[in-house]
Amino acid sequence: MSRRTLLVLAAVAAPLLAACTQNAGPAAEADTRSITISASDDACEVSAAEAPAGRVTFTVTNTGSQVNEFYLLGDDGARILGEVENIGPGVARQLVVTLPVGRYETACKPGMTGDGLRAGFTVTGSDGR
Amino acid sequence: MFANYLIGLREGLEAALVVTILVAYLVKTDRRRLLPRVWGGVVVAVAVSLAFGAALTYGPRGLTFEAQELIGGTLSILAVGFVTWMVFWMARAARGLGGELRGAVDRAADGTRWSLVLVAVFAVGREGLETALFLWAATNAATREAVGATVPTWEPLLGAFLGLLTAVVIGYLIYAGALSLNLGRFFTWTGAFLILVAAGVLAYGLHDLQEAGSLPGLDRVLFDVSATVDPTSWYAVLLKGVFNFSPRTTWLEGVAWVLYVGPVLAAYLLLMRHRPARPVATAARA
Repeated sequence: MSRRTLLVLAAVAAPLLAACTQNAGPAAEADTRSITISASDDACEVSAAEAPAGRVTFTVTNTGSQVNEFYLLGDDGARILGEVENIGPGVARQLVVTLPVGRYETACKPGMTGDGLRAGFTVTGSDGR
Repeated sequence: MFANYLIGLREGLEAALVVTILVAYLVKTDRRRLLPRVWGGVVVAVAVSLAFGAALTYGPRGLTFEAQELIGGTLSILAVGFVTWMVFWMARAARGLGGELRGAVDRAADGTRWSLVLVAVFAVGREGLETALFLWAATNAATREAVGATVPTWEPLLGAFLGLLTAVVIGYLIYAGALSLNLGRFFTWTGAFLILVAAGVLAYGLHDLQEAGSLPGLDRVLFDVSATVDPTSWYAVLLKGVFNFSPRTTWLEGVAWVLYVGPVLAAYLLLMRHRPARPVATAARA
Protein backbone atom coordinates (compact mmCIF):
# COMPACT_ATOMS: atom_id res chain seq x y z
CA MET A 1 0.00 0.00 0.00
CA SER A 2 1.41 3.36 -0.94
CA ARG A 3 2.15 6.12 1.49
CA ARG A 4 -0.62 8.21 -0.03
CA THR A 5 -3.20 5.51 0.56
CA LEU A 6 -2.03 5.11 4.14
CA LEU A 7 -2.36 8.84 4.62
CA VAL A 8 -5.90 8.78 3.28
CA LEU A 9 -6.77 5.86 5.54
CA ALA A 10 -5.24 7.63 8.53
CA ALA A 11 -7.13 10.81 7.71
CA VAL A 12 -10.35 8.82 7.67
CA ALA A 13 -9.57 6.69 10.69
CA ALA A 14 -8.41 9.39 13.10
CA PRO A 15 -11.69 11.29 13.45
CA LEU A 16 -13.54 7.97 13.58
CA LEU A 17 -11.60 6.77 16.57
CA ALA A 18 -12.13 10.11 18.27
CA ALA A 19 -15.86 9.94 17.60
CA CYS A 20 -16.37 6.48 19.05
CA THR A 21 -18.70 6.05 21.91
CA GLN A 22 -19.32 3.33 24.46
CA ASN A 23 -21.71 0.62 23.28
CA ALA A 24 -24.42 -0.49 25.66
CA GLY A 25 -23.00 -3.28 27.82
CA PRO A 26 -24.70 -6.50 28.93
CA ALA A 27 -26.24 -4.65 31.87
CA ALA A 28 -28.01 -2.35 29.44
CA GLU A 29 -31.46 -3.78 30.23
CA ALA A 30 -31.51 -2.15 33.62
CA ASP A 31 -29.77 1.02 32.52
CA THR A 32 -31.99 4.09 32.65
CA ARG A 33 -30.04 5.58 29.77
CA SER A 34 -31.01 2.65 27.59
CA ILE A 35 -34.37 3.17 25.92
CA THR A 36 -36.09 0.63 23.72
CA ILE A 37 -38.62 1.52 21.06
CA SER A 38 -41.06 -0.85 19.46
CA ALA A 39 -41.97 0.67 16.12
CA SER A 40 -44.82 -0.74 14.06
CA ASP A 41 -46.62 0.69 11.02
CA ASP A 42 -49.04 2.64 13.22
CA ALA A 43 -47.45 2.87 16.68
CA CYS A 44 -44.23 4.01 18.29
CA GLU A 45 -43.90 2.61 21.80
CA VAL A 46 -41.08 4.18 23.77
CA SER A 47 -40.08 2.20 26.89
CA ALA A 48 -39.59 5.32 29.02
CA ALA A 49 -40.52 8.98 28.60
CA GLU A 50 -37.44 10.21 30.43
CA ALA A 51 -33.79 9.47 31.02
CA PRO A 52 -30.95 11.04 33.01
CA ALA A 53 -28.64 13.38 31.11
CA GLY A 54 -25.71 11.79 29.35
CA ARG A 55 -25.15 9.29 26.60
CA VAL A 56 -28.55 7.81 25.85
CA THR A 57 -28.97 4.71 23.70
CA PHE A 58 -32.21 4.21 21.79
CA THR A 59 -32.70 0.71 20.42
CA VAL A 60 -35.44 0.77 17.80
CA THR A 61 -37.03 -2.50 16.71
CA ASN A 62 -39.26 -2.46 13.66
CA THR A 63 -42.22 -4.76 14.29
CA GLY A 64 -44.16 -3.49 11.26
CA SER A 65 -43.98 -4.20 7.55
CA GLN A 66 -42.70 -0.84 6.28
CA VAL A 67 -39.23 0.64 6.48
CA ASN A 68 -39.03 2.82 9.57
CA GLU A 69 -36.93 5.75 10.74
CA PHE A 70 -36.44 7.05 14.24
CA TYR A 71 -35.71 10.65 15.14
CA LEU A 72 -34.84 12.46 18.31
CA LEU A 73 -35.87 16.09 17.93
CA GLY A 74 -35.53 19.28 19.94
CA ASP A 75 -38.60 20.55 21.79
CA ASP A 76 -39.38 22.76 18.76
CA GLY A 77 -40.11 19.49 16.95
CA ALA A 78 -37.77 20.44 14.10
CA ARG A 79 -34.12 20.40 15.21
CA ILE A 80 -32.68 16.91 14.66
CA LEU A 81 -30.47 15.67 17.48
CA GLY A 82 -30.23 12.19 16.14
CA GLU A 83 -31.75 9.89 13.61
CA VAL A 84 -31.41 6.33 12.43
CA GLU A 85 -32.64 5.35 8.98
CA ASN A 86 -33.05 2.07 7.13
CA ILE A 87 -34.74 0.21 9.96
CA GLY A 88 -36.19 -2.56 7.83
CA PRO A 89 -38.99 -4.82 9.08
CA GLY A 90 -37.69 -7.20 11.75
CA VAL A 91 -34.49 -5.23 12.19
CA ALA A 92 -33.34 -3.50 15.39
CA ARG A 93 -30.96 -0.55 15.19
CA GLN A 94 -29.34 1.75 17.70
CA LEU A 95 -29.11 5.49 17.99
CA VAL A 96 -26.61 6.90 20.47
CA VAL A 97 -26.91 10.58 21.40
CA THR A 98 -25.41 12.65 24.15
CA LEU A 99 -28.24 14.63 25.70
CA PRO A 100 -28.14 17.54 28.12
CA VAL A 101 -31.05 18.26 30.47
CA GLY A 102 -34.06 19.42 28.53
CA ARG A 103 -37.25 18.53 26.73
CA TYR A 104 -37.21 16.62 23.46
CA GLU A 105 -39.47 14.76 21.09
CA THR A 106 -39.17 11.22 19.78
CA ALA A 107 -40.59 10.32 16.39
CA CYS A 108 -41.00 7.11 14.42
CA LYS A 109 -41.58 7.53 10.70
CA PRO A 110 -43.05 4.33 9.29
CA GLY A 111 -42.83 4.53 5.50
CA MET A 112 -40.23 7.32 5.83
CA THR A 113 -42.83 9.99 5.26
CA GLY A 114 -44.91 12.54 7.16
CA ASP A 115 -44.28 14.11 10.54
CA GLY A 116 -44.00 10.79 12.28
CA LEU A 117 -45.54 9.38 15.44
CA ARG A 118 -44.34 11.73 18.12
CA ALA A 119 -44.04 11.72 21.87
CA GLY A 120 -42.43 13.97 24.44
CA PHE A 121 -39.13 12.90 25.98
CA THR A 122 -37.56 14.52 29.03
CA VAL A 123 -33.93 14.41 30.06
CA THR A 124 -33.49 15.03 33.77
CA GLY A 125 -30.48 16.03 35.87
CA SER A 126 -27.78 13.40 35.96
CA ASP A 127 -28.33 10.73 38.60
CA GLY A 128 -24.72 11.10 39.69
CA ARG A 129 -23.16 8.20 37.83
CA MET B 1 -39.12 -8.78 3.25
CA PHE B 2 -39.87 -6.53 0.27
CA ALA B 3 -39.01 -3.42 2.32
CA ASN B 4 -35.61 -4.85 3.23
CA TYR B 5 -35.15 -5.90 -0.39
CA LEU B 6 -35.65 -2.30 -1.50
CA ILE B 7 -33.10 -1.03 1.04
CA GLY B 8 -30.55 -3.53 -0.31
CA LEU B 9 -31.39 -2.57 -3.89
CA ARG B 10 -30.98 1.15 -3.22
CA GLU B 11 -27.71 0.85 -1.32
CA GLY B 12 -26.42 -1.59 -3.94
CA LEU B 13 -27.25 0.70 -6.85
CA GLU B 14 -25.60 3.65 -5.13
CA ALA B 15 -22.41 1.62 -4.94
CA ALA B 16 -22.59 -0.15 -8.31
CA LEU B 17 -23.27 2.58 -10.88
CA VAL B 18 -19.97 4.43 -10.95
CA VAL B 19 -17.96 1.22 -10.89
CA THR B 20 -20.09 -0.25 -13.68
CA ILE B 21 -19.40 2.67 -15.99
CA LEU B 22 -15.71 2.81 -15.11
CA VAL B 23 -15.36 -0.88 -15.92
CA ALA B 24 -17.31 -0.50 -19.18
CA TYR B 25 -15.04 2.37 -20.13
CA LEU B 26 -11.84 0.45 -19.46
CA VAL B 27 -13.08 -2.59 -21.37
CA LYS B 28 -14.38 -0.51 -24.26
CA THR B 29 -11.15 1.41 -24.70
CA ASP B 30 -9.10 -1.77 -24.43
CA ARG B 31 -7.56 -0.99 -21.08
CA ARG B 32 -8.47 -4.22 -19.34
CA ARG B 33 -5.12 -4.29 -17.61
CA LEU B 34 -6.33 -1.39 -15.45
CA LEU B 35 -9.34 -3.39 -14.22
CA PRO B 36 -7.57 -4.98 -11.21
CA ARG B 37 -7.13 -1.49 -9.76
CA VAL B 38 -10.85 -0.89 -9.89
CA TRP B 39 -11.72 -4.27 -8.41
CA GLY B 40 -9.00 -3.75 -5.81
CA GLY B 41 -10.66 -0.50 -4.78
CA VAL B 42 -14.05 -2.22 -4.57
CA VAL B 43 -12.66 -5.02 -2.41
CA VAL B 44 -10.93 -2.54 -0.07
CA ALA B 45 -14.12 -0.48 0.30
CA VAL B 46 -16.32 -3.51 1.01
CA ALA B 47 -13.84 -5.08 3.43
CA VAL B 48 -13.23 -1.86 5.38
CA SER B 49 -16.96 -1.08 5.56
CA LEU B 50 -17.93 -4.56 6.75
CA ALA B 51 -15.09 -4.71 9.27
CA PHE B 52 -15.78 -1.24 10.63
CA GLY B 53 -19.51 -1.95 10.74
CA ALA B 54 -18.90 -5.22 12.60
CA ALA B 55 -16.56 -3.52 15.07
CA LEU B 56 -19.21 -0.91 15.79
CA THR B 57 -22.02 -3.46 16.06
CA TYR B 58 -20.31 -6.17 18.10
CA GLY B 59 -17.36 -4.32 19.64
CA PRO B 60 -17.39 -2.35 22.86
CA ARG B 61 -17.79 0.96 21.08
CA GLY B 62 -20.47 2.42 18.83
CA LEU B 63 -20.55 5.62 16.86
CA THR B 64 -22.40 8.81 17.71
CA PHE B 65 -25.05 10.01 15.33
CA GLU B 66 -23.10 13.13 14.39
CA ALA B 67 -19.96 11.12 13.65
CA GLN B 68 -21.81 8.71 11.36
CA GLU B 69 -23.42 11.54 9.40
CA LEU B 70 -20.09 13.35 9.22
CA ILE B 71 -18.40 10.25 7.78
CA GLY B 72 -21.15 9.66 5.21
CA GLY B 73 -21.24 13.32 4.21
CA THR B 74 -17.48 13.77 3.93
CA LEU B 75 -16.96 10.55 1.97
CA SER B 76 -19.80 11.50 -0.37
CA ILE B 77 -18.28 14.88 -1.15
CA LEU B 78 -14.86 13.26 -1.69
CA ALA B 79 -16.58 10.77 -4.01
CA VAL B 80 -18.04 13.65 -6.04
CA GLY B 81 -14.53 15.03 -6.51
CA PHE B 82 -13.18 11.70 -7.72
CA VAL B 83 -16.12 10.94 -10.01
CA THR B 84 -15.83 14.40 -11.59
CA TRP B 85 -12.14 13.79 -12.14
CA MET B 86 -12.98 10.40 -13.66
CA VAL B 87 -15.52 11.85 -16.13
CA PHE B 88 -12.97 14.32 -17.47
CA TRP B 89 -10.18 11.79 -17.42
CA MET B 90 -12.33 9.48 -19.56
CA ALA B 91 -13.14 12.33 -21.93
CA ARG B 92 -9.49 13.38 -22.25
CA ALA B 93 -8.33 9.82 -22.72
CA ALA B 94 -10.94 9.41 -25.45
CA ARG B 95 -9.21 12.06 -27.51
CA GLY B 96 -6.09 10.02 -27.89
CA LEU B 97 -7.72 6.76 -28.78
CA GLY B 98 -6.86 6.31 -32.41
CA GLY B 99 -3.43 7.80 -32.81
CA GLU B 100 0.03 7.97 -31.40
CA LEU B 101 -1.37 10.05 -28.57
CA ARG B 102 -2.64 6.85 -27.09
CA GLY B 103 0.71 5.89 -25.66
CA ALA B 104 0.96 9.24 -23.94
CA VAL B 105 -2.53 8.90 -22.52
CA ASP B 106 -1.79 5.45 -21.18
CA ARG B 107 1.40 6.66 -19.56
CA ALA B 108 -0.74 9.30 -17.90
CA ALA B 109 -3.09 6.55 -16.78
CA ASP B 110 -0.16 4.88 -15.06
CA GLY B 111 0.41 8.09 -13.18
CA THR B 112 -3.20 8.08 -12.09
CA ARG B 113 -3.40 4.45 -11.07
CA TRP B 114 -4.07 5.32 -7.46
CA SER B 115 -6.76 7.70 -8.58
CA LEU B 116 -8.54 4.80 -10.29
CA VAL B 117 -8.32 2.78 -7.09
CA LEU B 118 -9.60 5.74 -5.05
CA VAL B 119 -12.55 6.36 -7.39
CA ALA B 120 -13.69 2.81 -6.70
CA VAL B 121 -12.96 3.08 -2.97
CA PHE B 122 -15.03 6.25 -2.52
CA ALA B 123 -17.80 5.32 -4.95
CA VAL B 124 -18.44 2.07 -3.08
CA GLY B 125 -17.29 3.11 0.38
CA ARG B 126 -19.16 6.37 0.81
CA GLU B 127 -22.35 4.59 1.80
CA GLY B 128 -20.51 1.43 2.79
CA LEU B 129 -20.67 2.03 6.52
CA GLU B 130 -24.42 2.66 6.55
CA THR B 131 -24.97 -0.43 4.39
CA ALA B 132 -22.70 -2.52 6.61
CA LEU B 133 -24.48 -1.35 9.77
CA PHE B 134 -27.79 -2.28 8.16
CA LEU B 135 -26.50 -5.71 7.08
CA TRP B 136 -25.11 -6.47 10.53
CA ALA B 137 -28.40 -5.35 12.09
CA ALA B 138 -30.18 -7.73 9.69
CA THR B 139 -27.74 -10.47 10.70
CA ASN B 140 -28.52 -9.72 14.34
CA ALA B 141 -32.22 -10.08 13.56
CA ALA B 142 -31.53 -13.60 12.32
CA THR B 143 -29.32 -14.68 15.20
CA ARG B 144 -30.81 -12.90 18.23
CA GLU B 145 -32.74 -14.58 21.00
CA ALA B 146 -36.47 -14.09 21.07
CA VAL B 147 -37.43 -11.20 23.36
CA GLY B 148 -41.15 -10.49 23.58
CA ALA B 149 -42.48 -9.67 20.13
CA THR B 150 -39.08 -9.77 18.45
CA VAL B 151 -38.46 -13.31 17.30
CA PRO B 152 -35.40 -14.27 15.24
CA THR B 153 -35.99 -13.94 11.50
CA TRP B 154 -33.83 -14.46 8.44
CA GLU B 155 -36.14 -12.39 6.27
CA PRO B 156 -34.32 -9.02 6.62
CA LEU B 157 -30.94 -10.51 5.71
CA LEU B 158 -32.37 -12.55 2.84
CA GLY B 159 -34.28 -9.52 1.52
CA ALA B 160 -31.19 -7.30 1.74
CA PHE B 161 -29.05 -9.85 -0.11
CA LEU B 162 -31.62 -10.27 -2.87
CA GLY B 163 -31.71 -6.48 -3.18
CA LEU B 164 -27.93 -6.25 -3.46
CA LEU B 165 -28.00 -9.09 -5.98
CA THR B 166 -30.58 -7.23 -8.08
CA ALA B 167 -28.35 -4.14 -7.99
CA VAL B 168 -25.46 -6.24 -9.34
CA VAL B 169 -27.70 -7.60 -12.14
CA ILE B 170 -28.85 -4.07 -13.04
CA GLY B 171 -25.21 -2.98 -12.98
CA TYR B 172 -24.35 -5.78 -15.37
CA LEU B 173 -27.21 -4.85 -17.73
CA ILE B 174 -26.03 -1.23 -17.77
CA TYR B 175 -22.51 -2.51 -18.47
CA ALA B 176 -23.73 -4.64 -21.37
CA GLY B 177 -25.87 -1.78 -22.69
CA ALA B 178 -22.97 0.66 -22.46
CA LEU B 179 -20.70 -1.74 -24.35
CA SER B 180 -23.15 -1.92 -27.23
CA LEU B 181 -23.15 1.87 -27.76
CA ASN B 182 -20.72 3.29 -30.26
CA LEU B 183 -17.85 5.09 -28.62
CA GLY B 184 -19.01 8.63 -29.36
CA ARG B 185 -22.42 8.03 -27.85
CA PHE B 186 -20.88 6.08 -25.00
CA PHE B 187 -18.88 9.10 -23.90
CA THR B 188 -21.66 11.62 -24.25
CA TRP B 189 -24.21 9.49 -22.41
CA THR B 190 -22.10 7.96 -19.67
CA GLY B 191 -20.39 11.29 -19.00
CA ALA B 192 -23.66 13.20 -18.71
CA PHE B 193 -25.17 10.38 -16.65
CA LEU B 194 -22.23 10.31 -14.25
CA ILE B 195 -22.41 14.08 -13.81
CA LEU B 196 -26.07 13.77 -12.77
CA VAL B 197 -25.20 10.90 -10.45
CA ALA B 198 -22.37 12.91 -8.91
CA ALA B 199 -24.64 15.93 -8.43
CA GLY B 200 -27.06 13.71 -6.51
CA VAL B 201 -24.22 12.42 -4.36
CA LEU B 202 -23.15 16.00 -3.65
CA ALA B 203 -26.67 16.97 -2.53
CA TYR B 204 -26.85 13.80 -0.45
CA GLY B 205 -23.50 14.49 1.20
CA LEU B 206 -24.53 18.05 2.03
CA HIS B 207 -27.76 16.71 3.52
CA ASP B 208 -25.74 14.37 5.74
CA LEU B 209 -23.63 17.32 6.91
CA GLN B 210 -26.83 19.29 7.55
CA GLU B 211 -28.12 16.43 9.66
CA ALA B 212 -24.85 16.28 11.55
CA GLY B 213 -25.28 19.98 12.30
CA SER B 214 -22.06 20.88 10.46
CA LEU B 215 -24.05 22.86 7.89
CA PRO B 216 -27.19 24.92 8.57
CA GLY B 217 -30.55 24.99 6.83
CA LEU B 218 -31.91 21.49 7.41
CA ASP B 219 -35.43 22.84 7.91
CA ARG B 220 -35.27 25.25 4.95
CA VAL B 221 -37.00 23.03 2.47
CA LEU B 222 -36.93 23.87 -1.25
CA PHE B 223 -39.61 21.34 -2.17
CA ASP B 224 -41.31 18.43 -0.49
CA VAL B 225 -43.06 15.98 -2.77
CA SER B 226 -42.98 13.07 -0.34
CA ALA B 227 -46.80 13.14 -0.27
CA THR B 228 -46.84 12.42 -4.03
CA VAL B 229 -43.66 10.39 -4.43
CA ASP B 230 -44.02 7.69 -1.81
CA PRO B 231 -40.45 7.07 -0.52
CA THR B 232 -41.23 3.38 -0.05
CA SER B 233 -42.30 2.85 -3.68
CA TRP B 234 -39.99 1.04 -6.08
CA TYR B 235 -39.61 4.04 -8.39
CA ALA B 236 -38.68 6.34 -5.51
CA VAL B 237 -36.12 3.73 -4.48
CA LEU B 238 -34.69 3.63 -8.02
CA LEU B 239 -34.60 7.45 -8.23
CA LYS B 240 -32.87 7.57 -4.86
CA GLY B 241 -30.46 4.76 -5.68
CA VAL B 242 -29.45 6.16 -9.07
CA PHE B 243 -29.71 9.95 -8.81
CA ASN B 244 -30.01 10.30 -5.03
CA PHE B 245 -33.26 12.12 -5.61
CA SER B 246 -34.74 13.08 -2.26
CA PRO B 247 -38.50 13.80 -2.23
CA ARG B 248 -37.77 16.35 0.48
CA THR B 249 -34.92 18.56 -0.69
CA THR B 250 -33.45 21.50 1.25
CA TRP B 251 -32.44 24.78 -0.34
CA LEU B 252 -28.76 24.06 0.20
CA GLU B 253 -29.07 20.70 -1.58
CA GLY B 254 -31.04 22.14 -4.48
CA VAL B 255 -28.74 25.13 -5.01
CA ALA B 256 -25.61 22.98 -4.78
CA TRP B 257 -27.10 20.53 -7.30
CA VAL B 258 -27.77 23.29 -9.83
CA LEU B 259 -24.40 24.98 -9.23
CA TYR B 260 -22.65 21.67 -9.83
CA VAL B 261 -24.63 20.38 -12.81
CA GLY B 262 -24.70 23.70 -14.69
CA PRO B 263 -20.98 24.43 -15.13
CA VAL B 264 -19.73 20.82 -15.06
CA LEU B 265 -22.20 19.55 -17.65
CA ALA B 266 -21.58 22.60 -19.86
CA ALA B 267 -17.80 22.12 -19.64
CA TYR B 268 -18.17 18.43 -20.42
CA LEU B 269 -20.43 18.93 -23.46
CA LEU B 270 -18.08 21.62 -24.79
CA LEU B 271 -15.14 19.27 -24.40
CA MET B 272 -17.01 16.49 -26.19
CA ARG B 273 -18.01 18.79 -29.05
CA HIS B 274 -14.44 19.80 -29.71
CA ARG B 275 -13.27 16.24 -29.75
CA PRO B 276 -11.78 15.34 -33.14
CA ALA B 277 -14.07 12.97 -35.01
CA ARG B 278 -11.48 10.69 -36.57
CA PRO B 279 -10.20 8.86 -33.49
CA VAL B 280 -13.76 7.94 -32.57
CA ALA B 281 -14.35 6.41 -35.97
CA THR B 282 -11.09 4.49 -35.75
CA ALA B 283 -11.82 3.18 -32.30
CA ALA B 284 -15.40 2.30 -33.19
CA ARG B 285 -14.08 -0.01 -35.89
CA ALA B 286 -11.58 -1.55 -33.53
